[in-house]
Amino acid sequence: MDKKDLPVINVTEAAEAETNLASGMGGTLAGMRVTFNHMVRQVLGKDQVTIQYPEQRKPYSRRFRGVHVLTEREDGSLKCVACYLCETACPAECITIEAAETPDKSVEKVASRYEIDLARCIFCGFCVDACPEEALIMSREYDLTTYERDSQTSYGIGRLTTRPEIEAYGAGYRPHMHYPLVESYLPGRRRKVTDEPEKERS
Amino acid sequence: MPLITIDDQPIEVETGTLIIQAADRLGIEVPRFCYHPDLRPEGNCRMCLVEVQGYPRPTVACTTPVVDGMVVRTPHAGDQARRAVRGVLEFLLINHPLDCPICDQAGECSLQDFYMHPDYGLHRSQVDPQEKVRKRKAIDLGPMIVLDSERCVLCSRCVRFSAEVTGTAELQFVNRGNQVELKAFEDRALTDPYAGNLADICPVGALTSKDFRFKRRVWHLARTDSICAGCSTGCNLRIDHFQGTIERLVPRRNPAVNQSWLCDEGRMSFHALGAAPRLTKPRAQGTGDAVNWDDAVATAHGGLHAIRRPGQPSRLAALASTSATNETLLLFWRYVSETFTAPLLDCRLGQEDRWVDEREDTLLRRRDKHPNTRGALLLGLAADPAGGLRPMVAQAQAGAIDAALILYYPPLVGAEDPATLEALATLVRAVPFSVVLTTHEGEWGRNATLALPIAAWSEEEGTYTNYAGVVQYAGKAVAPPGEARAAAAVLGGLLGQAGRYPGGSTVQARFDELAAAVPAYAGLTIAGLASRQASVYPPEGRLPYGQEGFAGH
Repeated sequence: MDKKDLPVINVTEAAEAETNLASGMGGTLAGMRVTFNHMVRQVLGKDQVTIQYPEQRKPYSRRFRGVHVLTEREDGSLKCVACYLCETACPAECITIEAAETPDKSVEKVASRYEIDLARCIFCGFCVDACPEEALIMSREYDLTTYERDSQTSYGIGRLTTRPEIEAYGAGYRPHMHYPLVESYLPGRRRKVTDEPEKERS
Repeated sequence: MPLITIDDQPIEVETGTLIIQAADRLGIEVPRFCYHPDLRPEGNCRMCLVEVQGYPRPTVACTTPVVDGMVVRTPHAGDQARRAVRGVLEFLLINHPLDCPICDQAGECSLQDFYMHPDYGLHRSQVDPQEKVRKRKAIDLGPMIVLDSERCVLCSRCVRFSAEVTGTAELQFVNRGNQVELKAFEDRALTDPYAGNLADICPVGALTSKDFRFKRRVWHLARTDSICAGCSTGCNLRIDHFQGTIERLVPRRNPAVNQSWLCDEGRMSFHALGAAPRLTKPRAQGTGDAVNWDDAVATAHGGLHAIRRPGQPSRLAALASTSATNETLLLFWRYVSETFTAPLLDCRLGQEDRWVDEREDTLLRRRDKHPNTRGALLLGLAADPAGGLRPMVAQAQAGAIDAALILYYPPLVGAEDPATLEALATLVRAVPFSVVLTTHEGEWGRNATLALPIAAWSEEEGTYTNYAGVVQYAGKAVAPPGEARAAAAVLGGLLGQAGRYPGGSTVQARFDELAAAVPAYAGLTIAGLASRQASVYPPEGRLPYGQEGFAGH
């Protein structure tokens, strides 16, 4: 191709057009329209991005991996048989279990101590995957703020079974959510874990 | 000798060797439940089926002796054997309960291991868990054992153990068909002193240890090979510990010393370490507070050194326990004999030099409850026939002793002898300056000028020489409590204060020094002990059980 055949672009003309006041304002105004649009929608309460936490909260997935819950049998006894598989699977080594013997020969082994140090927990859910009895599941509770570290971040059997947040947040991640293999009950509610409502809390 | 081929590997073995033994020697794993090297083969579990060329059907490797020219295929190499063993395993698991999460055997269970094996495991169970035959569970069988008959695979190892090894024959199978179960007569407690072994030989979770019950999952345990310090037999054992706490002791097989067994007293001996409060800081009499180690060692040597009189015998009573390791005893002997002139030096609290040759039963236990009496005797720590603790006490009461150096470990098996403790207390009270190296707080040591805390068994490494002269290495499993140090380090410090060579810093170096100093140990090394049985007494080397034999054998 010859040099003279190349198309000619007049750069001076284009630059002048850009500096023209009217067309320059056009781009700015287009941008401002988006901004003001959002402002008006926020003020009118449509499609709010900002919410008034903690009074308002975002809905979370039913598979959310929040604070653990120890589930119960129908009679209200703890399902955990202290097999230590969660402790074995835990990559953060935050689970401490002590086993004890129970006179009930159909159970034999129970956990006399079960502690999760949530300050160490990385909420990976391996413990729940490892549990052969669905004795340990996760809830959708994520608000863990406390005033003290050592005494309040370690959850024992008591707080893993009877804290009001279990009711408020509901069950979270567990491996067989849609094809339950075993029956387990949320503590204190006598309600099967599988009967958790579909609707998410918001 | 017959030459046979197993999975295309040739091996020449003695006539009468069983196929399973030849395979073990080649390192080929033939799955088994009922075969145990120290029990008579019975061939009832059928798990060790192998193909033998020319045989129409698979045969059990644990009862078939080799024949020259035999060509054997294990389930790893032969299709027929693999199908047979798969079938046997599926059959054994038909009624096996789904107890793994609460079963203490999980993690060291043959059923689990074999089921996970790609060659003969991983079948799909065709039995509904609800239809499994249920049997009795968690049956209390005395102080050592809990029986769960549902988990039993009927291999009869326990039945043969109680019949052949202990001769007590408390266990038997009852009923027939799929109702067969293991039973002790009227579920009476197993009271024989070797019952703890039943939990070890049970390949599944039917017989489990009561002491270890639900304490810890086995895969969390760290393992250290050691030697039992409960008596002078020196049974080979493994210390299983978790985060600095000993959880259980299990025997290691050593055909020349303890076969596969361990007595219950030895098995429980680790509880003695925590039964009484430990001495955790060096303590000097008269000072309310504990003293630091440097001051304590300097004071100890200074006080002992001060009693020396030029050209005359030192009025020192030096008493070492025969529970100390050979390396510790060598340093003790060196410190006393290199620093003092003709002191009273002995290792006998009672008559250990005689008891070491006496047995308590026909299996393992010896009357002498010290692990290293033979080692102390070989070191010449009982050279004077009239020596020992009692003569020392008599001399001290007569005012003929100016200082005492005592190395004492409480026995791990049996209670401390009150008369011995009283004699020790008298000795400590009677001398103006006394240095006591010990592990536990004790009333007798309260009046000692200096009490120095030392590491107990399992907290230091070293060698023990058993009653028959077999030198064995015991490893260090856990750390000593508080500021306690290995006795070898304390004695090395004393030797350093005296301007002498304080001994090597590793157990290998200290054992080399022992081998150089004591003719009986010449040529031995720590590394060599692990690979062969070194017997140093008597010199011609007699097998510990050569003449006597085991009960029932």
